[in-house]
Amino acid sequence: MKTLSLQNLSKTYYDLYEGSHHTALHDISLDIPAGEFVSVVGPSGCGKSTILNMVAGFIPHSGGEILVGGQPVKGPGRDRGVVFQSFALFPWKTVLDNVGFGPKMRGVPKAERDEIAREYLAMAGLSHAADRYPNELSGGMQQRVGVVRALANKPDVLLMDEPFASVDAQTRMTLQDELSRIWEERRPTVLFITHDVPEAVFLANRVVVLSKGHVLADVPVPIERPRVWDKLVEDDAFKELSNKVLALVRSA
Amino acid sequence: MNALLPLWSFWVRTSRQWPVLQTLTPFVPVVLLWQAVASWGAFPPAFFPAPMDVVRNFGTLMYKGILPEYLSDSVSRLVAGAAVGMALGIPLGLLIGLSRRAYVALWPVVLFFQAIGDIAWLPILIIWFGFGLTTMAFVIVYTVIFPVIFNTVLGVRSVKIELHRAAQSLGAPPWRILTEVVLPGALPNIVTGLRNGLGYGWRALIAAEMIVGTSGIGFMMFDARRAGSVTEIVLGMIVLGILWYIVDAWVLAPIERATGRRWGLTQ
Repeated sequence: MKTLSLQNLSKTYYDLYEGSHHTALHDISLDIPAGEFVSVVGPSGCGKSTILNMVAGFIPHSGGEILVGGQPVKGPGRDRGVVFQSFALFPWKTVLDNVGFGPKMRGVPKAERDEIAREYLAMAGLSHAADRYPNELSGGMQQRVGVVRALANKPDVLLMDEPFASVDAQTRMTLQDELSRIWEERRPTVLFITHDVPEAVFLANRVVVLSKGHVLADVPVPIERPRVWDKLVEDDAFKELSNKVLALVRSA
Repeated sequence: MNALLPLWSFWVRTSRQWPVLQTLTPFVPVVLLWQAVASWGAFPPAFFPAPMDVVRNFGTLMYKGILPEYLSDSVSRLVAGAAVGMALGIPLGLLIGLSRRAYVALWPVVLFFQAIGDIAWLPILIIWFGFGLTTMAFVIVYTVIFPVIFNTVLGVRSVKIELHRAAQSLGAPPWRILTEVVLPGALPNIVTGLRNGLGYGWRALIAAEMIVGTSGIGFMMFDARRAGSVTEIVLGMIVLGILWYIVDAWVLAPIERATGRRWGLTQ
């Protein structure tokens, strides 16, 4: 696991219809030490997904620098694992082959990558689904596979783009519990994008509030771990912190 | 009504056991009507043969070995033409679907040549290549290639950008994205293109055989016209229909379902 550092990052679009430049992100600086979980929250259109797409290397940034373990980012790479809101599983591959895709690209032989995939699937309680196709699974199961697929490739940094936004509320809480447990076991460096404030606080060491393309606040979350919803849902410190962040987001 | 019920349930059970029955039954009234018109006698038998005449003719041509030979000629031409059409059409479709530049450069040309139908090429092809195999091969390949190109482009474009991105961030280099993401993602559409292409190709082949052929079902039918054998012409028409039904319903449609449905890409 490595550090992720954004230095004076900016993004400007050229608007073809207006014929002028439009600033989506402005001077974003953010340091995520190795093994830290940082959530980024903000209202729609604040540029939080743009940050993730730039860090992942899917779109170019206009200014500043993105460093993973000190190395500047140039395009997508396997050092940054991505979990998508739409899951983005390969429909023509079984769950096992989806999870084994990263190792396959590294040239790991079939037997060995199947073993890796089974180990990671077991971690998320998915062993029974190994031979199924993604469209045969529920949304919650599909996203578990999405998370496991990213982790099985042993990335330096894990990027998650509203990963639980398209599953139902009950499943979402279960997935948050599971992600929290997995993070505590493995301590990956995580950049987590969401618009759900309680989710951001529940999972993170720090919550960054974004507003109109700049950082409004950087709030530490000193709540002790392990964290599970059963305990935190009525916890005063958690509720107070969530309300504080919510107020910031609403003022944004 | 009650008496019909057991009969109905017998039919449902047998037709489920023998799906061929379900295919054949709709033709019963067609054949009966045909027989009725023939028996009515308004047309001389030499102009309008009865079903049994055609069956007898079928027996004769099978016995002489003419029909099996012509049939295998036509089918092997179609298969070879389709193979070449795919070998050219799929890479072209991938290129046009993936590259904006290739699209800009090639798309107008592709549309232009598609508009010149296969048969419209025959006059010039006969001058260039004469009456024979080269001309027929050109026509089939030409007919198969366009549906394959169009559907491949459509298939390539239907692969969601997230799947490209997921593969990239899992460490896939461009050529692996092509084989692991773009091709399987486009496959259901490619099969649809092949299905359409073979359908058009089959018709174009028969037409080409009539005009430039020296063997094949199309040639048999046109040759029968010279000999004045309406029975043989009708037999040729029936063979065309049956053969296409077999290829489409028993070979192509199942492949199409097996790729798209299993993956949830089509309903």
